[in-house]
Amino acid sequence: MKHLLLKLEPLIWLLFGQGILIGTMLLTGWILVVGLGVPLGVVSADALSFERAHALAAHPLGRLFLLALLALPLWKGAHHVRSLSIDYGGLSRDAAVATGLYAIAAVGSLLAIVAVVRL
Amino acid sequence: MARPVHPQAMTPSRAGRTRTAAPQAASGWYTQPRMLKYLLFDATGIVYLLVGFIALRVVWALGSGPEAWQELMRQLANPLYVAFHAVALVSVVFVAVRFFSLFPKAQPAHIGPVKPPPAPLIMAGLYAAWLGVTAVVTLILAGGLF
Repeated sequence: MKHLLLKLEPLIWLLFGQGILIGTMLLTGWILVVGLGVPLGVVSADALSFERAHALAAHPLGRLFLLALLALPLWKGAHHVRSLSIDYGGLSRDAAVATGLYAIAAVGSLLAIVAVVRL
Repeated sequence: MARPVHPQAMTPSRAGRTRTAAPQAASGWYTQPRMLKYLLFDATGIVYLLVGFIALRVVWALGSGPEAWQELMRQLANPLYVAFHAVALVSVVFVAVRFFSLFPKAQPAHIGPVKPPPAPLIMAGLYAAWLGVTAVVTLILAGGLF
């Protein structure tokens, strides 16, 4: 498994790096409005009415935006939690931890593709 | 095509004659400010994983119809979700500021004949892109655009 992880490292690093860069850029506005603004009443709930939200999300650019927003942060998260595990637990269990975390990110990414396709 | 090198490829087959103590981290290493920031940067990974899966739930509900969407909007107003998203916002800002400060240091000396721009210019570009994208995303989602 260690050899496979080493082979996949360029791909994992690409997704991890974009998770930090693109994920962070997209998440800030998303959290401000969807996570805080509408729930706290700062932003009108009409802005995220089903009709408007669906029309925005179902647009090809909306789907692309959502796919990046859903999938990329998972790879940033998986890789950094792996790093945290190495810092505290050493390398002895790294192969198992890394495989589990990347599997979570991969399944989440597949579900993200399904979620944007079924809109 | 070259194969990746095994991590222990350079380990000698037999222990050398000079015995050395195994490397050990200094006790309390994780409380030093420099390490604490590094570990916090890693720990934001937990937040990103959770935010990613919550966003997945949001989009899934949107694809499930108006009732599922209304129910999800009601759940997002729960104080626990709001508190988590407040922590997530702090995490995202922390990641951006730290990553943007590291980005110029990670640039190659040159790509072909082209040298990367000076660090302040790279950072200014990253901050401008971040603020610009955030403003556009916020305006669109909040109903100010389209």
